[in-house]
Amino acid sequence: MADKMHIKLTVNGTEEEFLAEPRELLIYTLRERLNITGPHIGCETSHCGACTVTIDGKSVKSCTMFAVQASGKDITTIEGLGTPDALHPLQEAFKEHHGLQCGYCTPGMITRAAKLLEENPNPTEEDVRFGIAGNLCRCTGYQNIVKSILAAAATMNADASSSSDAIGQTKVEAAE
Amino acid sequence: MHNTKYHKAGSAADAASLLSGADDGTVLAGGQTLIPTMKARLAAPSDLVDVSCASDMRGISVSGNTVTIGAAMTHAEVAGSSEVRAICPAICDLASNIGDPAVRNRGTLGGSVANNDPAADYPAAMLALGATIKTNTRDIAADDFFTGMFDTALDEGEIITSVSFTAPSKGAYAKFPNPASRYAMCGVFVASTDAGVRVAVTGAGSDGVFRAGDMEAALGSDFSASALDGATVDAGDMLSDLHGDGVYRANLVKVMAKRAVTAAG
Amino acid sequence: MSVAKSLPHDAAPLHVTGAARYVDDIPLPEGALHLAFGCSEVAHGRIASVDLTAVRSAKDVITVLTAEDLRHENDVSPSPSPEPLLAEGSVHFVGQPIFIVVATSHLAARKAAKLGRVEIAPLPAILTIDDALAAESRFEDGPRVYEKGDAVGALAGAKRVIQGEIEIGGQEHFYLEGQAAAALPGEDGSMLVYSSSQHPSEIQHKVAHALGVPMHSVRVEVRRMGGGFGGKESQGNALAVSCAVVAAMTGRPCKMRYDRDDDMIITGKRHDFRIRYKVAFQDDGRIDAVDFLQLCRCGWSMDLSLPVADRAMLHADNAYAIPNLRVESHRLKTNTQSNTAFRGFGGPQGMVGIERVLDHVAHEVGLDPVEVRCVNYYAAPGEAMDSTHYGMPVEDFILSDLTDRLLENSDYLKRKEAVEAWNAENAILKKGIAFSPVKFGISFTLTHLNQAGALVHVYQDGSIHLNHGGTEMGQGLFQKVAQVAASRFGVDVDRVKITATDTDKVPNTSATAASSGSDLNGMAVQMACDHIRARLAEFVAGDDAEQVTFEGGFVHFEGKSEPFDALIKRAYMARISLSSTGFYATPKVEWDRIAGHGRPFFYFAYGAAVTEVVIDTLTGENRILRTDILHDCGASLNPALDIGQIEGGYVQGAGWLTTEELIWDEAGQLKTHAPSTYKIPACSDQPEVFNVALWDGTNREKTVYRSKAVGEPPLMLGISALLALSDAVSACGTAYPDLNAPATAERVFAAVERVRS
Repeated sequence: MADKMHIKLTVNGTEEEFLAEPRELLIYTLRERLNITGPHIGCETSHCGACTVTIDGKSVKSCTMFAVQASGKDITTIEGLGTPDALHPLQEAFKEHHGLQCGYCTPGMITRAAKLLEENPNPTEEDVRFGIAGNLCRCTGYQNIVKSILAAAATMNADASSSSDAIGQTKVEAAE
Repeated sequence: MHNTKYHKAGSAADAASLLSGADDGTVLAGGQTLIPTMKARLAAPSDLVDVSCASDMRGISVSGNTVTIGAAMTHAEVAGSSEVRAICPAICDLASNIGDPAVRNRGTLGGSVANNDPAADYPAAMLALGATIKTNTRDIAADDFFTGMFDTALDEGEIITSVSFTAPSKGAYAKFPNPASRYAMCGVFVASTDAGVRVAVTGAGSDGVFRAGDMEAALGSDFSASALDGATVDAGDMLSDLHGDGVYRANLVKVMAKRAVTAAG
Repeated sequence: MSVAKSLPHDAAPLHVTGAARYVDDIPLPEGALHLAFGCSEVAHGRIASVDLTAVRSAKDVITVLTAEDLRHENDVSPSPSPEPLLAEGSVHFVGQPIFIVVATSHLAARKAAKLGRVEIAPLPAILTIDDALAAESRFEDGPRVYEKGDAVGALAGAKRVIQGEIEIGGQEHFYLEGQAAAALPGEDGSMLVYSSSQHPSEIQHKVAHALGVPMHSVRVEVRRMGGGFGGKESQGNALAVSCAVVAAMTGRPCKMRYDRDDDMIITGKRHDFRIRYKVAFQDDGRIDAVDFLQLCRCGWSMDLSLPVADRAMLHADNAYAIPNLRVESHRLKTNTQSNTAFRGFGGPQGMVGIERVLDHVAHEVGLDPVEVRCVNYYAAPGEAMDSTHYGMPVEDFILSDLTDRLLENSDYLKRKEAVEAWNAENAILKKGIAFSPVKFGISFTLTHLNQAGALVHVYQDGSIHLNHGGTEMGQGLFQKVAQVAASRFGVDVDRVKITATDTDKVPNTSATAASSGSDLNGMAVQMACDHIRARLAEFVAGDDAEQVTFEGGFVHFEGKSEPFDALIKRAYMARISLSSTGFYATPKVEWDRIAGHGRPFFYFAYGAAVTEVVIDTLTGENRILRTDILHDCGASLNPALDIGQIEGGYVQGAGWLTTEELIWDEAGQLKTHAPSTYKIPACSDQPEVFNVALWDGTNREKTVYRSKAVGEPPLMLGISALLALSDAVSACGTAYPDLNAPATAERVFAAVERVRS
């Protein structure tokens, strides 16, 4: 019998340390060991994307990664993105633009979309469609998901430019 | 899934020694093929040797026309390499169409080549580019490396560390993906170099990746899609499965080859 | 008023933060057990021996159950025909559960389930429609026939007759959340069951029988499903019953969820059909007679196959007044998964049949298929009324106007010319454009199911608690119904809390199915609210209660306005009951399914789509370039939610007919049992242009706020994608493309080759 390994993860900013068998898949660690149930199990074969999380800044399907492979790394799940009282712009957009129906794909979809917008803050509709091609939704036909992501991008860019304007303003004032 | 031991290797040599100390060890890179295989109980390695951080298996270098890519480089890293894109965009395009974004963040070139899945994309590129597969013990020419479906020239415990190839003057990859899995139902890589034209086909052959000799000859004298008009592909040599029969795949080989030639310009 | 507003889904804040709970997310008490099935690997055979020694001794296994260990009913059938939970003596399909493994973890149970040694002496397996016909293997004694006029006679004397056949594949539901259930044993033989089910009362019923207790001892709660699409109408029974049986036996909480492969291998799918047709028509495309033969593969048990096959017959006319129409339906029993409800419930298959006929006739007479469709349409209201082939007058036919509007909005004629011009100039890429209408009957055809209950409480602080028998599977039912409740009381919808569907709160509910969720439950909630409102009005105004209005958070009477909260507080102090049930039974419906005569539907929902595609004639690759839809939701309760249903329905329908292919091998094993082999639409496959609009109208029948049901009808708009592919293929030659469904790239390629030769 293989030994359990000492695994250390940072999940949504919290350090977690535990012993686990090497074969423990990250999705089970999150859901069953850490009670983080936002990432869902859809297919367990890396096709549906319901289990998508971010590891060290990259989108990963947590059903196709051992927890031990993530040891020492930084993991963000949907729970780390925002809360019902303080929604991330993507979460707000998915709510307002009806980017969900049954909601089962939503956590993985938004987690992936958050990375997509980091990789490409000004995506075209086509960029969005290919950027989330690994996240399946059976309800919406994707129209409102794409709409939500584009709307969030617009909001985030507007926020970014207004805050950079504000900085610019301050600099001008300081220069004067 | 059976239980297993896990080791993290800092280098290829480290990995090789860990493997040699294991009963039935295997290399783990991105795990995008190995983990599903283990889940399906088609593999039950006693030990996993994780090479994703093996320093000498990482990195991309371009020197003159020679491209070297570390075996542990992910598809996303290859797809995003501006250095490679500048000299051999075909390989970046190929990498950027494997699986989906999350899969590309984990899957590696070495894994794809070592597994030699009959529907994987990289083997076609390696074969068409006449690449050299470098391992911890030797260099193997792509022509000698791919020895049949899921079969390679790798010895027990031998680890691919990098691949290198000369960028072709013209090259392109055209793929007809399985709509569900996005693996190639047929993928054709065409490369034209001073040494001639090479055409390699993945996804379609009944025994894995292969070179299309007739097409190479036809393109050698006239590198244009129309040069392939008379080419014939024997449906009997093609894979016939639930995704498509041999006749359909034979047709795809010709169409994809033409597309690749057109794209290569 | 909050009805008609495009408010977000009630659980959206939970979904977007990962806080919405599905069955597998519910924390269970310490000591919970996990279940997995050991299944048959043989399509048909006698169980010779079962050796579970290795299973029992596997790590973390607590116990293993076979049929012999079940103390009460071994049945999970939703129909009068039995369907054992665990195989007894014989097996009837690859994937049939034979034993239940009970372990301390999901993975341990699944792993141990593979260790069972079951010897099965194979019997001849009936796998295909042809096998079943040859063996006379069927449900019901013989075919059902519904008929209007004399189709056979009309065909015999007709000048122009064509015939053909179309194979229509099945469809895997692929709800993102697989089947799941959990059971918690209570005191005195009671059982609490959480189930991902569209039909909590059915779960309650089957669990009660399996435990040998009255239904009052079983409580079933369903907060939400991660998609249902009909696949959770009956297919959840096996998991819920297993959990309850083991929970009762061990006294410990139990949970079971299917892994995706198991889900696809064990559960039923959309029925696959072969439809043969013979049609008599005039030079202008007017159809005189159609004789349909519908061959329907039901799988091994009856499940819901009879009403599914009935509905296929009922939609064999779609939107067309065909004077002589005969539909003969065979319900074939095969050694495959027991096919079940799937969005449209047979209607889509029947509709594909008649749309294929229209397409074929248009090709034959060389006219625009839209013209041929319009000339055959039912009469609009005000014209001489037509009846369907099952004797129901079509009173509300709005498709003529709707079609005109859609053709105009989608610029159909100009685009059709552009497509023709493109095809004349391009040899390799061919485009196609097609229109298809939908007329879909709304109501359960099993008349007694058209009932619903609701329970509404107004608390002293003015907050409103709402419960009804419908289940939430993503369709936005809870939100719509909350909007109804808020509107009745004239308050903001934020004041309304919708709680999980619970058999303790509303009993004897029907499945949330047949698109009827908001029609039935919305009305029941309206009734419950109105009872409370009437009491409040009487409290305010006595005999003048009718003059009291509830609006904008206030209650108005004789020029005075009182905040709703304040009135509630006063009413409470005055000992007015602030709680009520509501009950609704759909009027007018009456149906004899054997005679095939009556009014099975309260009304029809309508819609139409125009789809444009492009195909690569060298490979058969294809994609949808543009889709335009105009759909009738009556006076929509929530336009955004309705549009979401339309978009999702279209994509699911187009997926069914173009990429979603189910393949069984010769041993009856499903080969496409994972998303790596079964292709559902991804985001990158979607139409480049997708315009959806709602028809501006109201339901002529008195439904809740004059809205119309929307769950199923839009799925059939996807038929236009299949027809557009057919149109593109026909640009390659003169023969009729004769496309089967799904029209995969390989099939499109083969069809191109065929029409060219």
